[in-house]
Amino acid sequence: MLNTAGLSLDQAPPIRVPFAFFLAAPFFVLLAGVLLLWQGEAVLLTRWSPSALALTHLIALGFLTQVMLGALFQMLPVLIGARVPGATWIASLVQGCLILGTLALVAGLQWGGTVRLSLGAGALALGLTLFMGAAGVALARGRGAPRTLQAMRLALFGLLMTLLLGVLLVAGLLGVPIGGLTAWVDLHLGWALLGWVGMLILGVGYQVVPMFHVTPAYPAWLARSAAWLILSGLLIATAFTLMGWSGAAVWGFGPAVGVLAVFAVVTLDRQRRRVRPRIDVTLLHWWSAMLSALLAALVWLFGGRPELIGVLVLIGVGLGLPSGMLFKIMPFLSWFHLQHRQVAARRFDVRLPHMQAFIPERSARVQFGLHLGALSALTSAAIWPDKTWSAGLMALGALMLMGAAALLSRLQFDCYGRYLEIGRRL
Amino acid sequence: MASIITDAFTHDHHACDHLLAAAEKSLSSGDWEVIAQASEALISAVNHHFDVEEQTLFPRLASIYRVASNPIEVMCSEHAQMRALLGDLGEAVAQRDRDTCQGVLETFHFLTQQHNSKEEIVLYPMADGALRDQATEIAGLVARES
Repeated sequence: MLNTAGLSLDQAPPIRVPFAFFLAAPFFVLLAGVLLLWQGEAVLLTRWSPSALALTHLIALGFLTQVMLGALFQMLPVLIGARVPGATWIASLVQGCLILGTLALVAGLQWGGTVRLSLGAGALALGLTLFMGAAGVALARGRGAPRTLQAMRLALFGLLMTLLLGVLLVAGLLGVPIGGLTAWVDLHLGWALLGWVGMLILGVGYQVVPMFHVTPAYPAWLARSAAWLILSGLLIATAFTLMGWSGAAVWGFGPAVGVLAVFAVVTLDRQRRRVRPRIDVTLLHWWSAMLSALLAALVWLFGGRPELIGVLVLIGVGLGLPSGMLFKIMPFLSWFHLQHRQVAARRFDVRLPHMQAFIPERSARVQFGLHLGALSALTSAAIWPDKTWSAGLMALGALMLMGAAALLSRLQFDCYGRYLEIGRRL
Repeated sequence: MASIITDAFTHDHHACDHLLAAAEKSLSSGDWEVIAQASEALISAVNHHFDVEEQTLFPRLASIYRVASNPIEVMCSEHAQMRALLGDLGEAVAQRDRDTCQGVLETFHFLTQQHNSKEEIVLYPMADGALRDQATEIAGLVARES
């Protein structure tokens, strides 16, 4: 029987479901900026400092995972034609756990404390398990582009592994003896960045890159093998870590890093061959994120500073790419939901503004400029952490990061305000 | 399974994408003659595509395959949305309002992509299955001399 569920009008969740996630995300970047201003030197000197760990989770969980979950609640029905069951109340529960868990975990990593760490790990485990259950049901039923579906399923598995390893590490911090803790941290990081985030970028990219700017589709050889190569590399790394061969385990990340670097090059090439010539702010964010990913892969290959890789991946890709997507997703959702309400209410006298009226392109470009400034300043500071000027550069980067987050937040709230205001007239 | 309808209609979607890109490109020329021509080309191509779907493909599919009538209704209501946007485009061109033209084209593009992927993944394969003996004839209606 053919699945027609994807064509039903009430498939998408109410706008407040994804918007709640999107609106909350920039506040964690503001916190990250405060932490950088306060503890900047410790952060860039070593990835093992409490502040570096706290900062990583503020961005990875507070911003990136927040936006990704919000987008998935919205996109799963559209992309693969499968509804997330009980989306409205599950989403609130998931988000509550995510916010509480992130704040508690970050506080625990920064200042220690059994209560903070266990609360953080517990809330995150609960929230993410709920999400994986709900999304898993949708993905199991889903149809649609097979490569996207496959990458999404594997991404969810990556999230599960990240979570399990994270819980294990928190247990280690709380005193449970774990041999070779650093190797387990690397594995947690590998599953998080390559298995969860990387895989999701792959799955989403196959769909939205050709769609947004009308480019040729991704080549079949890449789409066919990419997700499996990443998965097998990570499984090998996991097996080696289990056997205590931590030196060899690092090379299990090689295939995954390589695949994502190739994906970045292919993406840039697709976008160069795009049919829509306009260079909009989403495209600018994609370019800077793909270049950051490529640079990070090179630094990794040549054994460069992990702190530098962290800046490139977390700020360059983790902050940049979702910001660029939000500038398209939020205006479109606003317009789309209003349009449906207009048709339902038959109020054709109320004129709907087009997408760019919800988030003006010019302000979005200013936001991109601030982001790029922060990325360059923090990258330079991470390359030369012991120069006399690096502390100043760090502070400048932190301020620009906060500026970009504040402006993003402002533009989001303006967009939502505009939506509510027009909605009241319908 | 043969995919004559899927191929022809998907190909026409891509042709419309290119016309939209051309309309966007024309905006930067600042020449309103050129812009009006490019927009007109887009509007007439999209309308032709909708006409073939609404007058031939969808009714024939619905007559054979009852289960298709609900998604078809959704597709038609999205056509109405897109027609309204094309109306806005025509108006913006007449008023020589470049920003509105750009915003409407962006919105139109986004809506169209969503709509097209639903047709291409679900509805056209359904039509290829149900309308096997008429596929070539229907595909011919949407074929463009380009």
